[in-house]
Amino acid sequence: MNPMNLAALLRRRLRALFRRSAVEREMTNELAFHFELEKQERMRAGASSAEAHRAAIHAFGGVDHVKEAYRDARGTRPLENLIQDLRYGVRILRRNPLFAAAAVTALGLALGAALAVFNVVNGVLLRPLPYRDPERINIIWLAWRWDDGNVSQLPLSSGSYSDIERDSRSFDAMAAFRAWPYAIAESPDAEREAVAGARVTPALFDVLGVSPVVGRAFTRAEAVPGGPNVALISHDLWQRKFGGSRDIIGKRIYLGDAPFTLTGVMPPGFAFPRGAELPAPFQFGTRTDVWTPLVFESSDVSNYGVQNLVAVGKLSERCGTGRCSASAAQAELTTVLRRNIPLNDQPKSAYKLVSMAEQAAARVRRPLLILLGAVAFVLAIAAANVTSLVIGRVHARERELAVRSALGAARGRLARQLVTENLVLCLLGMAVGLTLAFWGTKVVLLLVPGSLPRADDVGFDWRVLSVAGLLALIAALGFGVAAAYAARLRFTRAAVSVSRTRRVLVMTEVALSLILLIGAALLTRSFISLQQVRPGFDPSNALTARVTIPLVGRPQPLVDGARWSATFDHIIARLASAPGIVAAGGVVTLPLSGAFENGGVRPVGKVYENGRNPSAQVQIVAGDYFGAARIRLVAGRVFDASDDQSGRASMIVNRKFAREHFGSEADALGREVTALFEWARDRPPRVIVGVVDDVKTVSLDGDAPPQVYVPLSQLPAYALTLVVRVSGADPLAALPLVRQTVHEVHSSATLKEIRTFESVVADSLAPQRFNMTLIATFAVLALVLAFVGLYGVLALMVAQRRREIGVRLALGATPATVVRALLGEGLRVVAVGVTIGLAGALAVTRVLSSMLYGVSTTDGSVFAGAAAFVGLVAVLATWIPARRASQVDPRTALTAE
Amino acid sequence: MTPQDRSRDVVQGTLDMLVLKALSLTPMHGWGITNRIGQITKGVLTVNPGSLYPALERLQDRGWITADWDTTENGRNAKYYSLTAAGRRRLGTETESWRRMAAAIEAVLRTT
Repeated sequence: MNPMNLAALLRRRLRALFRRSAVEREMTNELAFHFELEKQERMRAGASSAEAHRAAIHAFGGVDHVKEAYRDARGTRPLENLIQDLRYGVRILRRNPLFAAAAVTALGLALGAALAVFNVVNGVLLRPLPYRDPERINIIWLAWRWDDGNVSQLPLSSGSYSDIERDSRSFDAMAAFRAWPYAIAESPDAEREAVAGARVTPALFDVLGVSPVVGRAFTRAEAVPGGPNVALISHDLWQRKFGGSRDIIGKRIYLGDAPFTLTGVMPPGFAFPRGAELPAPFQFGTRTDVWTPLVFESSDVSNYGVQNLVAVGKLSERCGTGRCSASAAQAELTTVLRRNIPLNDQPKSAYKLVSMAEQAAARVRRPLLILLGAVAFVLAIAAANVTSLVIGRVHARERELAVRSALGAARGRLARQLVTENLVLCLLGMAVGLTLAFWGTKVVLLLVPGSLPRADDVGFDWRVLSVAGLLALIAALGFGVAAAYAARLRFTRAAVSVSRTRRVLVMTEVALSLILLIGAALLTRSFISLQQVRPGFDPSNALTARVTIPLVGRPQPLVDGARWSATFDHIIARLASAPGIVAAGGVVTLPLSGAFENGGVRPVGKVYENGRNPSAQVQIVAGDYFGAARIRLVAGRVFDASDDQSGRASMIVNRKFAREHFGSEADALGREVTALFEWARDRPPRVIVGVVDDVKTVSLDGDAPPQVYVPLSQLPAYALTLVVRVSGADPLAALPLVRQTVHEVHSSATLKEIRTFESVVADSLAPQRFNMTLIATFAVLALVLAFVGLYGVLALMVAQRRREIGVRLALGATPATVVRALLGEGLRVVAVGVTIGLAGALAVTRVLSSMLYGVSTTDGSVFAGAAAFVGLVAVLATWIPARRASQVDPRTALTAE
Repeated sequence: MTPQDRSRDVVQGTLDMLVLKALSLTPMHGWGITNRIGQITKGVLTVNPGSLYPALERLQDRGWITADWDTTENGRNAKYYSLTAAGRRRLGTETESWRRMAAAIEAVLRTT
């Protein structure tokens, strides 16, 4: 058929559907005209009017019959039936608002929860990353195999990066980048704003396939030693700071104290690297706002010692004869490594490619899938609930369905209508669900500010909408089939199996909600134990804020270190003497903030096997850090003014370090340790002057690692987190003082991450809080649905048996015996449900094991408590209708109907 | 639908062909078509409305005829059907294949 005819056909069909009354009128007119001519023909042949009429009717063959054949030929019948059924479905729902409201609410709530979680899962795990050919973009790590078999993924040194960038043939483009905090201002005198920045090699934009929307990216020629100061900014920062003005392109902006030429603005939404997608110690901001060239000096090209670069490469589409595989590229890179670094450790290291999507998703995949599982339970409970309601409706509509069946409606036609009616229900539920999911997703994302990878990529797309549509369709089909089945059972007088079906549904609801409740209770218990963990410091009454001294060019601690150290000492000294301040100090990597650094240490006089060289977590501290954080001194002394640049190089270690290397705390004092993380080479060993308590720096649920502390005056840094202990109850009250002091000591230093120490600790539990809150929400939702379901079944049972109860009461049964009998029936259902739920929980809670702290996955008290609670709720749901039954007046019950 | 399919469905196929043939001279309304077929076949073939109108719908769907409301000589409104170019071509192929089949059947009947 040619397209013109197709268009004409479509027009005819649409007209038949949407101008139905006009089409029908035309048909009636046409047939009437035909009939009229038929009659006239006979009259012309001499028949009387009455005879002609009869004969015409005979020839015509029944107007209605012709009309039906005519309509069938229109080809829109199935659709017309559907529309008719939909209309009927809407009418049915409007006639039963209570049923409709209950079903739509249950479906809407469950679908809302399910779609919100799926929306997040979709954004974080399923959606392609917002770059070109994201499946080919890989992070390149240096995999280091420890003696115990563990493998660490380490960043690259500028030396090894230069080697692979020069020698590898497996990539279309390769780039390196690292975090770089900046303080931005429009003019030298304007107030600076701390922003997350990154220094990147220009090829980064080729790897990602993203170019500026305004202006241009910086070029390779600009990213050379002695090159110009150029920068790119994010669309967001451009709008916020510069009002989206195009005039700013090519103009000067100030990063720190240095002028930079702004070459361009990146597209809206582009914020690579986004902190949550890479390991926390790299300290990338949640969203990166400023990009400047990463420049390799000639000395960097051969520097294999400092591993601080993240490398990213876009695999070539073809390598030699075949497709480029990640494993082939890894092998090629490792060959390059072997060729360039002749180290004895070689067999322990190799390159490892991790696709960028996997890098982002790996950390959160398990918890997200657990949430998806939990929400599937809620969905199943809601489905059981609505199925139960729908079956109940069939009971109420028995008469109507019987009449329609008697009038000749085919069984298939009736079943189709039941499915269509439920489609109306499910579409309404889906609409409510999508609305709830839209807001629910926002709430979910608010629970994990900055710590959920790819949070920016979460948003409704075709996948979420198709899943919503699919769920609604499956539900409609399921409910319709259940209703049709129930209707058939009723016609065959098998009412018993209908109520048995409903009982099984309620059992399922009880069992599923108990499993969810146990999961939620385990996570809550775990969260409570985590909050009771003593971190080794006292987070109360302390304010923390990160001070960054702006840099020009690369950090040169050997040149500028003394100045940095003096600045921080000055700030801390002024704060310490201010009224209301109990103690003030600073630390480079604040405990539980996500940042930490490790370094090699060699206790003097001890020999370690090759490959078993010890390392420790390095904390660079200033002022009275131990006093401000209330970290207990176990032996020796804390740092004081004597531990300065000119004094003896000193070190404080934690108990774990002391015990591990020297046997006891006391034995560690006075011992010497060579630190491999000194700024300058060939520094003399440090002497241990004190031993302090272990501090949980990485997470509350892990043990503290061996830790060493060195004074900032001897190992300078340009960024420090102040810890200020106040005498008052509100640490934030000290903020104006801190701001003013920092500004007075160093006018262009920036302050950010201003938080109370307590909120730092609380934020470190954000993932746990996220899981606990969501699963607890789902458990409550499940319990409410199960309660309503149980109540509904019991209430119906009581309604159906009013007469029987009336007879019993009339025959002398006391209300108490009636209540007891009904209660017994309800509780049997509940007991079976609880038993199944407990068994199910035993099998299922194992998936939570890695997320629990201080509570076993089969904790007896949690299981018993949850079962008791569900039982209590169930008794309540049973008792209300049972009690109502006992209040039946035998006279009205017997005369009713 | 291909001609091969149609040849099996003789009754419907024949009706379609007859309608197309009836319309080949001039546009007509439904009753006119019935009347015309009756006249041509001298009453051997009668087409009742229950078959005619569905057939007219079908032929419109295929783009072989179109329908328009017009006024009759007596000043009444009637739906007139007329042949399209595609319909005329179709009539040609239908006639052709009908003749071939009629001749074949004729041949079979002659030999026995």
